[in-house]
Amino acid sequence: MRWDLSVGVVFVVACMVSTQANGQAPKTPQEPVAGSNQTAPYTGSTCLAPVDRHFADEVWTKVGERICLTCHKPGGDAEESRFLLRDPKRSEGPAVLADLRANRNAFVQMAKLEAEGHQSRLLLKATGKLKHGGKVQVLPDSAEYRILAEFVRSINAPVQQTTPLVDDQKHPPFFNGIVMLDDQRLLRRVTLSLVGRLPTETERSALAKNGSKALPAILDAIMKEDAFYARLREGFEDIFLVLGLEETDNSGIPLSYEHFGETRHWASNKDLVKHITDEKQRQEAQRKIITDCGKAIREEPLRLIEYIVRNDRPFTEIVTADYILVSPYSARCYGIFEQIRSQFKNPEDPFEYIPVKLKALVSRNPLGKQESPTGFYPHAGLLSTFQYLRRYPTTETNRNRLRARMFYQHFLGVDVLELAARVTDAAEVSAKYPNPTMQAAECTVCHKVIDPVAGLFQDYWTFGKGYGRRKGGWFTDMFAPGFEGEDLPTEDRWRALQWLGERTAKDPRFAVAMVEHAYYLLTGRKVLLPPKDINEPLYMARRRAYLAQRKEIDAIAKRFTASQFNFRNVIKDWIVSEFYRADGLATADLTVERRAELEDVGLVRMLTPEQLERKVAAIFGEPWGRLNGNLALLYGGIDSREVTERVTEPSGVMGAIQRILSNDLACKHTALDFSRPSTERRLFPHVEPDVLPGASPEADSKIRKTIVHLHWLILGRSDRADSREVDRTFQLFSGIVTEAAQRKDLNPNELDACCQGLNGRVADPHYTIRAWRGVLTYLLRQHDFLYE
Amino acid sequence: MIRRDFLRQCSLAGLGLAWPETSSSLAQQKPRDDAPYDGPFYVVYNAAGGWDTTYLMDPKGINGMNRLYKEGDIQTHGAHKFAPTGKTIKAGMSNEDFYKEFGKELLVLNGLDYSVNNHEPGSRYMATGKLDTLSYPTFAALVAGCKGPQCPLGFLTFGGYSNTGNLIPMSRITDATALLQLANADCVKGQQNRPYQDDFVINHIEHALRNQAQERNRNERLPRLERAHNMLYAAQVNSKSLERIVPWLPKTPPKGRLTSSADIVLAAFKGGVGVSANLTLSSFDSHANNDDDQMARIPELLAGVAYLLRRAEELKIRDKVVVIMQSEMGRTPNYNQQNGKDHWSVGSIMFLGPNIKGNRVIGATDEKFFAVPLSSRTLTPDKENGIRVRPEHIHDALRRYAGIVDHPFSKRFPLNVAESERLNTLWG
Repeated sequence: MRWDLSVGVVFVVACMVSTQANGQAPKTPQEPVAGSNQTAPYTGSTCLAPVDRHFADEVWTKVGERICLTCHKPGGDAEESRFLLRDPKRSEGPAVLADLRANRNAFVQMAKLEAEGHQSRLLLKATGKLKHGGKVQVLPDSAEYRILAEFVRSINAPVQQTTPLVDDQKHPPFFNGIVMLDDQRLLRRVTLSLVGRLPTETERSALAKNGSKALPAILDAIMKEDAFYARLREGFEDIFLVLGLEETDNSGIPLSYEHFGETRHWASNKDLVKHITDEKQRQEAQRKIITDCGKAIREEPLRLIEYIVRNDRPFTEIVTADYILVSPYSARCYGIFEQIRSQFKNPEDPFEYIPVKLKALVSRNPLGKQESPTGFYPHAGLLSTFQYLRRYPTTETNRNRLRARMFYQHFLGVDVLELAARVTDAAEVSAKYPNPTMQAAECTVCHKVIDPVAGLFQDYWTFGKGYGRRKGGWFTDMFAPGFEGEDLPTEDRWRALQWLGERTAKDPRFAVAMVEHAYYLLTGRKVLLPPKDINEPLYMARRRAYLAQRKEIDAIAKRFTASQFNFRNVIKDWIVSEFYRADGLATADLTVERRAELEDVGLVRMLTPEQLERKVAAIFGEPWGRLNGNLALLYGGIDSREVTERVTEPSGVMGAIQRILSNDLACKHTALDFSRPSTERRLFPHVEPDVLPGASPEADSKIRKTIVHLHWLILGRSDRADSREVDRTFQLFSGIVTEAAQRKDLNPNELDACCQGLNGRVADPHYTIRAWRGVLTYLLRQHDFLYE
Repeated sequence: MIRRDFLRQCSLAGLGLAWPETSSSLAQQKPRDDAPYDGPFYVVYNAAGGWDTTYLMDPKGINGMNRLYKEGDIQTHGAHKFAPTGKTIKAGMSNEDFYKEFGKELLVLNGLDYSVNNHEPGSRYMATGKLDTLSYPTFAALVAGCKGPQCPLGFLTFGGYSNTGNLIPMSRITDATALLQLANADCVKGQQNRPYQDDFVINHIEHALRNQAQERNRNERLPRLERAHNMLYAAQVNSKSLERIVPWLPKTPPKGRLTSSADIVLAAFKGGVGVSANLTLSSFDSHANNDDDQMARIPELLAGVAYLLRRAEELKIRDKVVVIMQSEMGRTPNYNQQNGKDHWSVGSIMFLGPNIKGNRVIGATDEKFFAVPLSSRTLTPDKENGIRVRPEHIHDALRRYAGIVDHPFSKRFPLNVAESERLNTLWG
């Protein structure tokens, strides 16, 4: 049985005790009739009872979940209210539907209550006409109001409904009519994406022989390659952005003078290179040590992620690990290198990492001296790393709220600001209350969530130094440190982030957030947000798309949790999912609604600069080498600090870079490949420069065979020699050669710039080298090459 | 599918095409719709972090709101009132100089209700006119999508909230010199006299790509794939017109955050390849030492705007440039313990451009710095029946001003401003 809130699925739940809004079992449970919007007593005669579809699809989806739940939930601003709801998204299995039923009961009770003048309290509260902490949440002429009004009417004057409100038969399975990627192309996509190479013959053969059954083993092997871990670090850097940390000097070392003053700049010690006599070489060597040292220490949080995955440790350790990763270089910054030197395989490798526990920080300043009963730094995965804290610093007025917000976003998948933005007279609120963040409903809705978590970071207050408590203690004019309604015990203050990490690991939202991160890593885009505008004509279509994706996310998250949080499983699950494999349409006719449903389906990811370089290396044997620095930024890359979001759609500037890349690569590799013995060629093993189109059927056959080879190698297409696409490429080659033969003004030789590093002279009397170069240029400008 | 249908489809997807030159052998297929975009041009300046409008266009000098001047020090220029900064600032442009040079063209709206006082929602709301969704395009992206989908640098952004609503790609260019090479993408190392391919080869390649694009458009694809195909094709084809901007880039660009951006923007405008731009100046978030921070940032912002307008004059496109100056929030009427000012949900916005009647101030804040409701009909304060002017009202007016309110793209992202609340006479 699938537990689902989506339209088109009958809600059937196992027999359970229904509950009131306050979580207590009701004396006379009220349950709805299937497919009806009327109230009917739950007879309890069967162990299976359907949930009210109208409530689920309309009242809950469009009003309750979007508006009421923001405050009317445990820990919410209206948690003292009698109208208390549950968040089904925080439950699993049967509990999801139990939550939904409880919520319906709460709405029913509220709908039955009348204020003076026989007006529904539900409507009066929602429109702010009765005392309501949230004031006006629903406008009287809005669609939300009409939904609530209809619900109130149906509860108080039920009419027997003979036909269901929603036609369950209307919607076929979400991926009906979608063509999936075949196994070989899926494998190519995966190897290029995860390890930056083409599939091996062994992998292809295994797949050809055993079909998709061979895929799990292949994926397991791929995810043990070093390149995979590099890709993993790169993907999580896009999310956590720790490499863009704020520096207090130009060294890139995120350690404070106060705690590491004597060791953090060891790399600048001139004694390290004094044995080098040549001054230029000496300076260069010193620069390299400094650069490697900065890189080694900045990468530590990403190496922690790698370590967890590489060793199949529970991924929850990204918030609970009681250790950090250090390299021989970064260990010197902490001043612990000599103590752990023997644990390194190569103590001179800047990028070999091992786990260690730091001792509690010492300082002459009492506020900077770390309180720790164990004598160790209370590591809590990424949360307590100097890099993460420095990347998301605080200010006197921000009071760690940025950190709290990022915590929610990174580890629980919740964008607090996005959820809580309200339109009210904020200026009046600010002026009306002495302390709006604790008193005004408009503010507390957010601050009640954020501020307790902000308080958990209180020991990392000193700006730019990581650790350091606030003089005078933590603020008392904000909600006390804690998490989701639970206060931080005083005795745990010294290890507050560990306390937070422990709770985060147990929160169902953690697994979901990690599954969402994996989706981002694989697709380059965020998961769908629920549509909000219920007046939009395509609302239900978009909602269905959202729920279909959400269902997959929840299922993967559940398996992730069951696997002791093995992150490799999440990657595997996404790869074999229909969302990753969707490739085309089987049917030509799409309704407007179906089109809206499918708007986000299909990987269709423009390669990032880093991915494109790796793909070029996989195809040509070496990277282009120019998609870095400024050009990478122009091509939509990030620098993790100023530019933190990748551009996912090509602009004219990026189109120009694609033209440069295609011209340059074709120039560099065409004559070069022909200059090699045919058995050693990557690009043109089946053809020679003297093979002319139209000269003979054999010649044309060779040319077509070469094109088929290039289509697979560069585009990943398995085209037949007589296919339309091969025809088009053949026409291009043939057209160039033919027109060249008619021209008298052409240079008899290939361009000098395109003849660099050849293994021997390559003559081009028939213009075929240049025609093949044109073909390569054409192929390198195509979607199948530039996109994943 | 004939070429016209292909173009129409691309256009509706937000993908205009400026077709490349073709060789004699393919000349019969040369399209004719590659004219440069000729204006108007839209520049949105974001004072990121929240500006203190009482130090610019909405001066107070009362109730301890401003430590740098008193009410009696407030300056005027025509209909404008502004805070005196000439004697305070260390660099940039003073309010006095700015109003003197541009006051007669300047339209100010005070008492704007940002409705929120958090940076991200505020930025989103001010940029798009819609608070409760992440999908709406910024005005700059919307107007570029409507007016110049064929422009390779249609929408330029230099930071800040820049959502495009998938109408048009955004371009981020921080280095003008890189443009020189990109403009000659078909030449070795960007050197114009060293083409990679003979002309006829390029034409064959372009022909094959065009042929493929047209053919693929006949086939049913996943909506995402269809869009990506079209976007990619448009990006590469349109990139050819980048060469138009090269002559307009300054040989020795001035230093400065806003000035170098302005040079790129104006070269794109002058070259007919740009429609709009987001320019952002950060560090307005003056929670500590408000007066120092604001007195550094506001003059820098004004100097940046002045540079853009003067340079536009030199390029002879000044009469086509529309400037919008805004921020995502204002600052409190009182100082905090760090001599800073915190977030305030009331502020101002400024406009300047063709068909905008200047020397006017619309709307107001009261002595406690609350927004005074405004009559949408008369644009005068109306505490009883007026409306609270919010970003959606501004964006509705901007869409009407730009003539894009009925464009399918605008309708895809409705603002739902009631007829009775529209600021129909805002532009004068």
